[in-house]
Amino acid sequence: MIANQLALIKREIWEHRSIYVTPAAIASIVSLIVLAMLVFASGFAKELDIAIFGASNLAGEAERRAALTAFFVGTSGLFVVGLAILTVFYCLDSLYGERKDKSILFWRSLPVTDAETVLSKLLTAVFVLPIVAALGIIATHLVNLITTSIWVSMKGGDAGLLIWGSVPLLDNWLTAFIVLIASGIWMSPFIGWFLFVSAWTKRAPLLMAFMPLILVPLLEWIFLRTSFFASAVWDRNDALPLFRALDFETFFEEEHWRTGIDNISLLDHLDIGQFLTSPAMWAGVIVCGLFVTAAIYVRRYRDES
Amino acid sequence: MTSLVNARGVSKHFGAVRAVDNVSFEIEQGKILGLIGPNGAGKTTLLKAVLGLTDFDGELSVLGLDPFRQRKELLKNICFIADVAVLPRWIRVTQLLDFVAAVHPNFSRERAEGFLSQTRVRSDAKVRELSKGMVTQLHLSIIMAIDAKLLVLDEPTLGLDIIFRKEFYGNLLNDYFDEQRTILITTHQVEEIENLLTDIMFIDDGKILLDKPMDSLAETYVELLTSGENVVKAKGLGPIAEHEMFGKSVLLFEGVNRENLEGLGELRTPSVADLFVAKVKGARQ
Repeated sequence: MIANQLALIKREIWEHRSIYVTPAAIASIVSLIVLAMLVFASGFAKELDIAIFGASNLAGEAERRAALTAFFVGTSGLFVVGLAILTVFYCLDSLYGERKDKSILFWRSLPVTDAETVLSKLLTAVFVLPIVAALGIIATHLVNLITTSIWVSMKGGDAGLLIWGSVPLLDNWLTAFIVLIASGIWMSPFIGWFLFVSAWTKRAPLLMAFMPLILVPLLEWIFLRTSFFASAVWDRNDALPLFRALDFETFFEEEHWRTGIDNISLLDHLDIGQFLTSPAMWAGVIVCGLFVTAAIYVRRYRDES
Repeated sequence: MTSLVNARGVSKHFGAVRAVDNVSFEIEQGKILGLIGPNGAGKTTLLKAVLGLTDFDGELSVLGLDPFRQRKELLKNICFIADVAVLPRWIRVTQLLDFVAAVHPNFSRERAEGFLSQTRVRSDAKVRELSKGMVTQLHLSIIMAIDAKLLVLDEPTLGLDIIFRKEFYGNLLNDYFDEQRTILITTHQVEEIENLLTDIMFIDDGKILLDKPMDSLAETYVELLTSGENVVKAKGLGPIAEHEMFGKSVLLFEGVNRENLEGLGELRTPSVADLFVAKVKGARQ
């Protein structure tokens, strides 16, 4: 069972090269931009004495930490956007592609159940894609911290203190990892829906997947004058119940932040207990389970000839 | 003899269409059964039922299992090539072998690599880079490396040229088949496989028209070539089909004693193709 799952997930990564090509592309673009900025900055360094991350003339410790943390969070954000798009396209192709090229008959000639196959695609979407994205984030951070360190050292700065000491790396990476995995689970009803559409539709999976998400809220508004479905669907992404309430005004008033004694911990802002006890999260998991069951049913019972 | 497949009153409907209509048959171990039928006769539907790919009415046991409900168990001991083009185009040959080795308990990677080394299929090639004939060689190499009790081939050589077709059946007989194995095969090109079949089954309109061992065909069916007044005499014996060839009448008899026909003209055993045409036409009248 587990050996089969590993083989099936490996097959997903072979088939959908975008699973690792997308994060690699984002990582390359970010690294090139940072490199260009460093080169650009060094050209003006003598006159302006300005630098990207390690600059001593950035107002102070806290500001440098904030700048580095912003870079960390910003790059992670790019990966999250990439991951969201990748997940939609991956799910929609995962059970449609094998029907389009007729390879489904080959896959189904092997001793693997339809449930195992569909499950491997669900696991890939909910866990493998976010894990690969998290690895992409870590690699991007490391590469750019290293290039920036070299730059700072060349300027005579202490990279160990200015760059590596300014951001709690593990704290940041663990946060990125948790946020990505939690997002996968939180958005799993959509993943289930996309998998179902992919298993079911005869053509145009992208259109078939998004049309109901637009039409149903529209019809609901026209006939019922309510927007329950619309908010359940379109506001879900912003409602991830993982973050502590953040009051921006007091956040910037806080003393530890001003004086810059502590590094900025992102992990402090997560509330995993709140996520795990969220009824909306569990409701989403159940919806996902229903759609996945339907996808298995369609793959098993529909005659493809 | 153990029977591997046992069908009792198997039917499959698509709406009002009866693709398979109350069919009963048995396939014994060590046989090569040819399932012959025109397009839309229900061949593929019947095969799908045997392979657990579709549900059906009636009783069907394959290797003692219910094919639809115990498909995973069944597919450990049953292999099939449904059509030549079904290998995923994006996959590499090595990946394909890795995957099958990981999920199939009866697959021997060494054997598959042995078969492949006799072909021009490179192990680092992607399926999309291979010709149609090479894809079939690859598929057959995988299938033959699986220690299965029953092999099901549905039009396995469709679209291949004659050299690949001959080689395909040659490999199958020489490197794969033995008395432990059983093969169920459907094809349009019946003349190419009739020499390797041990049993034959005709199907049309969802019904079985004939189900016999090949070596019994000569006893039951005889073809008479004759002309002149002998034709009238021969017709009196009730041929199931007749046609003209080179100015002679060719009459096909079922279950008529050869002694009664001798003296009326030249006797010979009909080809499977002629017999098939006669049976289908007869059933449709």
